[in-house]
Amino acid sequence: MPKKARKTKSKEPKLSKPPKLKERGQGNFFEALILLLPSGLWLFLLLVLPTLVIFQLSLVPDIKPGMVVDPSGIENYLRAFEGTFLWVILRSIFFALGTTFSCLILGFPIAYWIGYMLPRGWRNLCLLAFILPLWTSSLLRSYAWISILRPTGLLNSVLVYFDLPPIQILNSPIAVLIGMTYSYLPFMVLILYTAIEKLDSRVLEAAADLGAKPSVIFEKITIPQTSPGILAGCLLVFIGSLGDFVDPELLGGASSMTMARLIYNQFLGTTQNWGFGSALSMLLIIAVSIAIALLLKYGDRSATEA
Amino acid sequence: MGFDFPKGRLRQRRHFLLGAGAALASLGLSTGLSSCGWTLANVRPPVTGSDPNQLFIYTWSGYIDEELLAAFERETGIRAIVDVFDANETMLAKLQAGAGGAYSVIYPSDYMVQKMVELDLLLELDKSLILGLEQLFPRFQDPVYDRGNRFSVPAAWGTTGLIYNSQALKQPVEDWQYLWDNQQALSKKITLINDVREVMGATLRKLGFSYNSTDPQQINQAYQHLVRLKPSIAAFTSDAWAPQMLAGDLLVSMCYSSDANQVIAENPALRYVVPNSGSSAYVDTIVIPKSAPNPQGAYAWINFLLQPQIATQVVKNLKFATPNQVAFEQLAPDIKQDQTLFPTPATLEKLEGITPVADEISAIFDDYWTRLTSA
Repeated sequence: MPKKARKTKSKEPKLSKPPKLKERGQGNFFEALILLLPSGLWLFLLLVLPTLVIFQLSLVPDIKPGMVVDPSGIENYLRAFEGTFLWVILRSIFFALGTTFSCLILGFPIAYWIGYMLPRGWRNLCLLAFILPLWTSSLLRSYAWISILRPTGLLNSVLVYFDLPPIQILNSPIAVLIGMTYSYLPFMVLILYTAIEKLDSRVLEAAADLGAKPSVIFEKITIPQTSPGILAGCLLVFIGSLGDFVDPELLGGASSMTMARLIYNQFLGTTQNWGFGSALSMLLIIAVSIAIALLLKYGDRSATEA
Repeated sequence: MGFDFPKGRLRQRRHFLLGAGAALASLGLSTGLSSCGWTLANVRPPVTGSDPNQLFIYTWSGYIDEELLAAFERETGIRAIVDVFDANETMLAKLQAGAGGAYSVIYPSDYMVQKMVELDLLLELDKSLILGLEQLFPRFQDPVYDRGNRFSVPAAWGTTGLIYNSQALKQPVEDWQYLWDNQQALSKKITLINDVREVMGATLRKLGFSYNSTDPQQINQAYQHLVRLKPSIAAFTSDAWAPQMLAGDLLVSMCYSSDANQVIAENPALRYVVPNSGSSAYVDTIVIPKSAPNPQGAYAWINFLLQPQIATQVVKNLKFATPNQVAFEQLAPDIKQDQTLFPTPATLEKLEGITPVADEISAIFDDYWTRLTSA
């Protein structure tokens, strides 16, 4: 704004202009205030305030509905890092990392194919086809996996048909990883696609002309050029899968308790402890906040905005 | 998960999972006047008035079908809408998490009635508005959990036991111990009820203790046994076992007798057994919460169900045991002699009702349960 002001000044050196500009500047401040007020209020009431309530609850040990909230200490947080519950946290992180890794491995070739090898006219159509499953409920997609993976389900029917021994996958951590990878793959592909689409093909061709092997080109040019997109995709999948509830709940059975499931159990399950649940929620919020901060700092912004 | 569950007006359990977030968003937070803090999740009556022609019911899956709702609407003109839960604690949690004013009729089990009375959630029933309470079996007239049925009307009763696939298993299941003895063969083909007291209680009984043991050492011992069984357990669920059992994915499931009956009706190869070392008996009741938007409709629902011809119809269609003696007498002999529905006196001897335990014991149960399900 000041730059612009100076420019207009130099063009029309009249005295009547500056006050008008000043007025406009003030108007902008109020305009901005008015424009930001609704969303600011929204965020305050529905994000900041509830988070503060969660934080307050997390400081009350063993609180159940009907009890008076009287913050007294950090026992709930200490409990979260005890044996069993520490494993739950580590398991959640393991699932999130596993999902991120498998999404990257599966998603990169797809995104590369759509974004680089496919003729331009086909790209949007292919991308749309790939993202189409996102339009159905995630619950429905998890149920579909139940019918595929269950002992007498599709997968085992096929295995038995080919005289192979049936495998027990449902209600195991593998089933959770499969379900989560399936759920988050479209996000990964979408973000990688926008990064790969921007690849400068002339650089790749120049490298090939100069005798670089495809593997070298991939390592020295493709990956560095798409790394912000890779990072953005990984962080986004990590954030999503860390808090995923539906896949572990439906596909994991009695195995694979995760933080999200444990939190649910503390509030609406058969044993209630809102304080402990709140402490776990705070830990999840902190973990996700760190991931988002990393995403904002290092991720490819154009990719996440797309 | 309704395998045999009518669609349409009945909302299903998984929707509850989705709705849970919404419920949490509307926590019944209110400011306590007496002390420094605020009271968490007070259940309060609805602020707005309600439609007398609508009745919201919160019950176990499988207790109500479309036919029953249609008959009720024909008789009273009230349209009933049903929501289901799969554990008493879940029901209580949802009430406390903001759905307090939503329901006029709730179906808690015996010990939960006692707990809800303690929490001051239930309306004391006006007996002058209820017809037919004297038709109940004498043992349901004055139950221990609610002396003189002041707050609750028994709706159904049954036992907790094991259902198993008699074609897939060589020997019949007779006791809880079977699960531990055949742990390897049954790996991931077992489900247990998603209820802390039932699962811990059954294991306590297996060890020769009471279902309602309050001895921390005994409870710990039961927990240790469950930890050993844990790797073989497919899931903790009270109703999702049914379709998997019918599909052949499960071999043994801990379940309630009323659910077992519905499933056995579809596949006679399945058998239900009350384990030899003993089990629990439950009474599911009808209560009216203090926050009920339509108490008149709730009384109409209770009176409707107490009619013998409706009660017999319900036993036939929904396959659970009625506490109504007049209705029982009118049942066909083959139903009367169905031991899954109406166990023999010798079996009844082995059953305990689950009783509420002191808060500190309850905390021990909860802690072990959280650890068991988290491991």
